[in-house]
Amino acid sequence: MKKSNDIFLETVHNIQQTYGYIPEREINQLAEKFDQPRAKIYGAIKFYSMLYTEPTGKYIIRICDSLSCHLKDSHDLLLAVQDYLGLEDGETSSDQLFTLEIVECLGHCGEGPVMMVNDKMYTELTKGKALEILQDCK
Amino acid sequence: MVIEKKFLKGNPLKDISEYDFPGLRRALSLGQENVIQEISDSMLLGRGGAGFPTGTKWSLALEQAGDKKYFICNADEGEPGTFKDRFLLEERPLKVLEGLMIGAYAVGADEGFIYIRGEYDLPIKIFREILEDARDEGILGKNIFGSDFDFDLTLVRGAGAYVCGDETSLINSIEGKRGISRIKPPYPIQEGLFGNPTVVNNVESLACAAEIINKGAGEFVALGTDNSRGTKLVSLSGDINLPGVYEIEFGCGTLEEIINDLGGGVSYGNKPKFVIPGGLSTAALLPEELNCGYSYEDIEEAGSSLGSGAIIVVGESRDLVEILLKVSRFYMDETCGTCFPCREGNKQINFMLNQHKNKKFTRQEVEIIKDIGDAIAAAARCGLGQTSLSLIESIFDKFPEELIEEVRHSEKVRNR
Amino acid sequence: MKRLEIDNIEVEVEPGTTLLEAARKINVNIPTLCYEEELSIFGGCRLCVVEVNGGELLKPACATEADDGMIVKTHSPRVREVRQTLFELIIASHDISCELNCLTCTRQSSCELRVVAEDIGISRMRLNPIYRGLEKDFSSHSIVREPNKCITCDRCIRKCEEIQGIGIFANSARGPETEVTTFQDKGMGNVECTNCGQCIISCPTGALHEVYHSEGVWDALYDENKHVVVQTAPAVRVAIAEPFGAEPGTVATGQLVSALKRLGFDGVFDTNFTAYLTIMEEGTEVVKRVTENDNLPVLTSCSPGWIKFIEHFYPDYLKNLSTAKSPQQMFGALAKTYYAEQAGVDPEDIVVVSIMPCTAKKFESRRPEMNGDVDFVLTTREAGMMIKSAGINICDLPEENYDNLMGVSSGAGDIFAASGGVMEAALRSAYYLITGEELEDIDIKPVRGLTGLKKAEVPINEDLTLKVGVAHGLSNARKMMELIKEGEEFHFVEFMACPGGCIGGGGQPIRADMTSEEALQKRLEGVYSIDSSKKMRRSHENPMIQKLYDEFLGKPGSHKAHKLLHTEYTARGLN
Ligand SMILES: Cc1cc2nc3c(=O)[nH]c(=O)nc-3n(C[C@H](O)[C@H](O)[C@H](O)COP(=O)(O)O)c2cc1C
Ligand code: SF4
Ligand code: FES
Repeated sequence: MKKSNDIFLETVHNIQQTYGYIPEREINQLAEKFDQPRAKIYGAIKFYSMLYTEPTGKYIIRICDSLSCHLKDSHDLLLAVQDYLGLEDGETSSDQLFTLEIVECLGHCGEGPVMMVNDKMYTELTKGKALEILQDCK
Repeated sequence: MVIEKKFLKGNPLKDISEYDFPGLRRALSLGQENVIQEISDSMLLGRGGAGFPTGTKWSLALEQAGDKKYFICNADEGEPGTFKDRFLLEERPLKVLEGLMIGAYAVGADEGFIYIRGEYDLPIKIFREILEDARDEGILGKNIFGSDFDFDLTLVRGAGAYVCGDETSLINSIEGKRGISRIKPPYPIQEGLFGNPTVVNNVESLACAAEIINKGAGEFVALGTDNSRGTKLVSLSGDINLPGVYEIEFGCGTLEEIINDLGGGVSYGNKPKFVIPGGLSTAALLPEELNCGYSYEDIEEAGSSLGSGAIIVVGESRDLVEILLKVSRFYMDETCGTCFPCREGNKQINFMLNQHKNKKFTRQEVEIIKDIGDAIAAAARCGLGQTSLSLIESIFDKFPEELIEEVRHSEKVRNR
Repeated sequence: MKRLEIDNIEVEVEPGTTLLEAARKINVNIPTLCYEEELSIFGGCRLCVVEVNGGELLKPACATEADDGMIVKTHSPRVREVRQTLFELIIASHDISCELNCLTCTRQSSCELRVVAEDIGISRMRLNPIYRGLEKDFSSHSIVREPNKCITCDRCIRKCEEIQGIGIFANSARGPETEVTTFQDKGMGNVECTNCGQCIISCPTGALHEVYHSEGVWDALYDENKHVVVQTAPAVRVAIAEPFGAEPGTVATGQLVSALKRLGFDGVFDTNFTAYLTIMEEGTEVVKRVTENDNLPVLTSCSPGWIKFIEHFYPDYLKNLSTAKSPQQMFGALAKTYYAEQAGVDPEDIVVVSIMPCTAKKFESRRPEMNGDVDFVLTTREAGMMIKSAGINICDLPEENYDNLMGVSSGAGDIFAASGGVMEAALRSAYYLITGEELEDIDIKPVRGLTGLKKAEVPINEDLTLKVGVAHGLSNARKMMELIKEGEEFHFVEFMACPGGCIGGGGQPIRADMTSEEALQKRLEGVYSIDSSKKMRRSHENPMIQKLYDEFLGKPGSHKAHKLLHTEYTARGLN
């Protein structure tokens, strides 16, 4: 890829910070900027699970269900959150408030179970604590 | 009784005005060759999982022709059970920066990247600040500390793909491509980022390098065993009472001691069902195998590997298929999807495991799993695939009664 | 030189040779799927793995360079075992089911997976496919994608990007969801796809194929009230015998006519006829625009893949395109006017079918400005399938002649099939139109052959030397357009979307047994063998053309000719 002085991933992160996702016209512009077919840019973006080409909920809830957290009952936490939000993995609520994702290791395996709400990490959660956090998301 | 040996650990060190970069200053006065010599003398092995000698990597990189070289710090830590790099990034980021700059100076790189996984929000914030301050203070830029060493460092946020921890995938990712592995050779030190020689080192390796240059190789070599020098940051998690990051001198205790003395013992049942000594890509060890010393060579001898230093303890009465499924789902979701054995193999394994939630496996099914494991190990393109079934296969090997059906008489006849 | 040992045989190869090439040198065939000679190395399928120096890790032969002292085992027990398992996995990912199975597959007789199965000697299949439930892409008028059959070998991606220079495909998502897709998953019909069909030729499976028109053609043939006429393009006759076991380049013009008559077509015509007409119209336009210095260079307009390309990527140059319709569409327009009149048939009842080496022609026939003049377009492959399913083996048939009205052809039309052909034919006529004399050295060699970019200067008279260019394959088209953009001077430039021109079209038979280069070369020889064996070689000498102008069109470039035989274009950009 042509070395534009900007780093692709950083550029994309910044776009996502602005719009909450990466809109089509921005991909067209990225294609021009980085001198690549737009399908390729699209394919590159879709590789990364933290990048979105469609709008997500205002709060992205990520719950780790990797082995160490699993041993700390992440599954129960997950069920409680799913039940509360009425969402399955990858779904966004109809009011566009929440997107729920079951994810792999978040790097806080010693403090499981773990949940991320947008950028913020919550550790050593109980069901009650998690629901409290979600209730505060408005 | 194992206790921690603090070589890397120390008080939080984040404020650039409180740190004078003695290691870097010393490096600049030593000269490139001498720095590399000292790292080689320390016998430091890369802490990212592959255990490649850091001194060798740097001297190969120094030899590379070309006026453009890159130095990358791999902070894409993502293997389940591993969080020791995050510890360094949050507590001792200036040591990481110092190690990175020492490395860059030694190999002759004038541009560097630190690739931090996107989920590590705090480390990203910390480093963003540090880089700003460092530029303001002239610690990054031209003629660093009055030397002729110029260096600039860019922070790149990952975006949620474990495979980008592989150095070739990471390079593709920085280039703006899909984070898929590259075919080696050429190796990154020959042809890496944007086609130029590139060194990739793990966070912990760089923190070690900083301390080695700081304190002298002698102190480091004196620690550990013949083949594993120094200390290692271990991430303890799973069914254990005191999880966390511990610094352990190689060879100073056994796995069992680490689990009991530092980790406070097993938290689910009385003893472990098994222990994963180095992250999800390493084979499981049974309780009776835990009496092995903590070093690269001893764990290898026991039939597994030290990997990234993630020790995961699994308690006595855990359901094996549940655990196998978690492991398998991780690999299935995280393969880059480029090479067929890894993508299709892990998908098939996950599919088969899902069908056995309350049912044992037949001999034939186990044979298929083994064949797929062999094919992935032999033919996958990168380390992710090649080691993706080590743990699963070892669990099948070690718990046959629990997982595999008795061969029935009729089946024996049919097989003949 | 590098010396190594492959399967106990000493080999010496140039540095940089891969193990795959080295093995081929000593006639050892290592199976491959994602490898294609003309594309970059992908190294994804791993079928080509071999043992090097007894190492645990097997090496992909396609991506490993030969080195001194290597001991390579290409078919050791371990390698064969691993390959079998890999192949089981690949087949499981290929989703063979009731709906999707080998028997109904477009590639039933040219499936590369079957070739590889045989090469490996596959003896077991223990895994069931895991259904992915992906939707078929029907968005394009030319090409259908069946993603469930896709094994993500990436050959289409690389073909489109590296050979055609476009890149409408990319891998998307990751892990088990990895798939080949288009920009924003819009589908091939909604992006900058030129419909050239080169991806189909590269696909080892049936995941890509043309939009079938054969059912419609069968229905028309069965309908007694319809008068069904068919035209066959020049490149078809050197390829149509291939599905029946003949070598590429086998000329089967007469047999094709015979087969089509047996199928029940009411008239079988040669697209060459309208190819002349194109030359007459285009030649006239060139002469006029060169003398008036009007939007030069003139760019040819007969390759619909190229047209869509320029509409997307160089919309500013649409005014340079010749306004002449392609021969296919000229035929359609005449069939429903002149021919209908002559034959005394109501144009409403006429069904026009074309047999083309091309998938883009399907899209062209659906362009609104073409008024539906051509009802159905069959690729060479589809025509082959129809003929086969009528119980006919084309190789066994006697030769028959095209029907008369539009059927006399000279060599000038046949060479339309090859890159440089339009240019050569047009030069022959332009020379005549300007000077009133015949061009002596009739084989204008510099514009022939498989070189991607060709240039020539043809002295017409003292004042005028025509500067002409030829580009085939869309990467070359792009290069040529960049030259033009930079100001290089041309009067007339021929463009063909497919490498080699129409003989390498996306609708031609797919060979699982030879590279596309080899097939192309053989078909090319076939085309020129027809040309040099024909007597009448200049469009303007064709008596039927003269008659058509006299009776119907007036003269080249006339108002009527313009209405029927010329068209306009759409600036599409990237939307
Ligand atoms: C799938 C995969 C994931 C990896 N993840 C990491 C990682 O998160 N951090 C890391 O430092 N090395 C990781 N590695 C190893 C790197 O490829 C590389 O060997 C390492 O960064 C080199 O640094 P070192 O020599 O200091 O260990 C990974 C390798 C593979 C195959
Ligand atoms: S082994 Fe897996 S992760 Fe590595 S290249 Fe192959 S598909 Fe990608
Ligand atoms: S042909 Fe070599 S990996 Fe596919």
